[in-house]
Amino acid sequence: MWLSLAASYLFYGWWDWRFLVLLTFTITLDFTLGLRLHRTHDPQWRKRYLWASIATNLAVLGFFKYFNFFIDSTAAVIRAAGFEPAIHTLHIVLPVGISFYTFQSMSYTIDIYRREIEPETNYFRYATFVSLFPQLVAGPIVRARSFLPQFRSEKRFDWNRFTEGLGWCLWGFYKKVALADSLAPFVDQCFAAPETFSSSHLLVGVLLYSFQIYGDFSGYSSIAIGLAHIMGYQFPTNFNSPYFSKSFSEFWTRWHISLSSWLRDYLYIPLGGNRKGTFKTYRNLMLTMLLGGLWHGANWTFLVWGLLHGLYLVAQRLLSSSIERVEKVLCMPRWIQRGLALVTVYALTCFAWIFFRAPDLTIAFSIIRRIATLEQFNWTSVQNKFHVMQAAVMIIILLLAELINIRRNLTILIVQRPVFRVVAMALVLWLIAFFGTFDADSFIYFQF
Amino acid sequence: MKNSYWIIGLVLLAFIGDRLGGMILQKLIERSQFRYSRIEKGATKNVDILLIGNSRGLTFYQPAIEKLTGKSTLNISYNGLPMNLARAIVQDQLQKNGTPKVALIDITLCTKSNQELISSFKAYATCSQPIADLLRQQDVKTYRASRVSHLYRYNSEVFQRALFYLNQSDEDWLLDRTITQAMVENAALLEPYQLKVKPQQLVALQKTIWELEEAGTEVHLVVGPYFPTFRLAGLEEYIQQVESACQKEVHDFSNLLSEPAHFGDYQHPNVAGSLLYMEALDQEGLFD
Repeated sequence: MWLSLAASYLFYGWWDWRFLVLLTFTITLDFTLGLRLHRTHDPQWRKRYLWASIATNLAVLGFFKYFNFFIDSTAAVIRAAGFEPAIHTLHIVLPVGISFYTFQSMSYTIDIYRREIEPETNYFRYATFVSLFPQLVAGPIVRARSFLPQFRSEKRFDWNRFTEGLGWCLWGFYKKVALADSLAPFVDQCFAAPETFSSSHLLVGVLLYSFQIYGDFSGYSSIAIGLAHIMGYQFPTNFNSPYFSKSFSEFWTRWHISLSSWLRDYLYIPLGGNRKGTFKTYRNLMLTMLLGGLWHGANWTFLVWGLLHGLYLVAQRLLSSSIERVEKVLCMPRWIQRGLALVTVYALTCFAWIFFRAPDLTIAFSIIRRIATLEQFNWTSVQNKFHVMQAAVMIIILLLAELINIRRNLTILIVQRPVFRVVAMALVLWLIAFFGTFDADSFIYFQF
Repeated sequence: MKNSYWIIGLVLLAFIGDRLGGMILQKLIERSQFRYSRIEKGATKNVDILLIGNSRGLTFYQPAIEKLTGKSTLNISYNGLPMNLARAIVQDQLQKNGTPKVALIDITLCTKSNQELISSFKAYATCSQPIADLLRQQDVKTYRASRVSHLYRYNSEVFQRALFYLNQSDEDWLLDRTITQAMVENAALLEPYQLKVKPQQLVALQKTIWELEEAGTEVHLVVGPYFPTFRLAGLEEYIQQVESACQKEVHDFSNLLSEPAHFGDYQHPNVAGSLLYMEALDQEGLFD
């Protein structure tokens, strides 16, 4: 534990030692409030401690992440009313991983308040729980209930864990270094100057972005899970073949699972979930997704992304019975129904990704407009075709591996069959050597 | 399997697969009809006209030149080709295939150093000493990595193109799209595109001219057409610099074309534009 804590602090301090103070503050605050919450039986005080934790965590997060956004947006509203405000923004550096560790630490006090867990009495153990380096900067967001008990057992090197962990890491490197990083230049060009590209080129750019963000983030998660596994810890799965989802509710059980389940448990359900009537269910879905969008960053693009996903979830609830009826009337075979659902979910997810990736709403709408015009909508006008072909090969490899994993659990195969393990890992190493981009692009989710 | 055996097995299998894969890909690159593969295997002998440029040099349309002049051509242009890499390729051509009668160089390949592209040419570093030397000098990490992993040598777009041209010629490729209306409208609004000579590339150009002329090749320097309303900054100064350093006249065709229908984008004529450009080069006597 001590080694893990020291390594984690060194890891975080390497980027900017000053933010270790902020991390330590969050840890100390929630550790102290957790203990007090547990010791106090007065409901009033329990509520005060809980709100002290939530308010302080959100205030810190709000200051570092949303202060300038709030000031800019207020200034824009005042300007729209015909006044010229004398408002200045601050030069605030966003601490890496603040959204992740704040949510993780906050859920700890909420769980104690709900009497779902006992507080951790060892400060350093709690500090290790919050700061453990594989997940500190980009998740997965681990829960105290499942993760804190893992620090109580002694960690010893274990070959099986090492094998599994190495497998996770290698696959993560494939997704990051080979897939995501090699798609990045094509996507960056599209979103930097969309007016210079044809509609088909931009469409390809959006499709590639859907795999860039997936490869980048799930790649990081796989590496984090693998590293933790080697160290003797068990992280929750964060991605589970999301582009094979046949509905948006399914998508959110497969994409960034640790965040979506956090939002479900600490926001959607406390708001009433689906237990308070149709209207409130829709309201709760919209609110949860909007805040989920805002969690990613202080930009209207993230809000629109969250709004779109909220609308998708509401529309799914509204339309699902009608769609089922139409499918029955048309006597559609099951595989066509599934295929259509899969393509629809993927297409609408890609549409939302345009907002997620665009630096501002103007660029996002410009891309949508240009794609919709269908100007030069042909293969000829797609530039960098070799890049696109390589991307297609890498995406097919990824999807094939996921399909095999869905049918036959690859982790089990890797653990149980040594020959399969050796061949699979060697194959991934060859793929990384052949497709990898090695000029150290940072992870997209580090900015959140 | 014992715990340690599988990791030894993994290392062995990864190594053997890497070497075997590298060998197969090397054979493929040798068999390819891609221009650089043909140079390296000595299949571009008796070339009359050697065409050198970056992506703008790809508008030297070989079928049109051959039709106009009846002479054989070789275009070694590549997207973003810097002059120092062009020089290494020219050296290979001279060593392995003999001397062309005429060489046309689009001087805009002195605007950029492109280490990334030099690294991409690692696929040819095994069969070309000049490319290997340049790679070692410009990107030693990639050079070393390509010695450790042979598969890594073929991790580049250059190799993918070699694979694409495995059984087909690469000599009739031209940009076959027309500039978008939005780009036409935006052209005058953009910041001027600054043309600046990179000293290292200018030295490479001087040396290339010297090496070609030493071998008996007549060298012509040109600037190809740009989109008329695309704002260029420093073109005149750029041409003067090249002329004074190389002691050669630069034939300026930057204003040759005026119709949007002749361009694929701001810097590249399309099929229609290229045909007009080739006719202009011929009329100027630059293929003679």
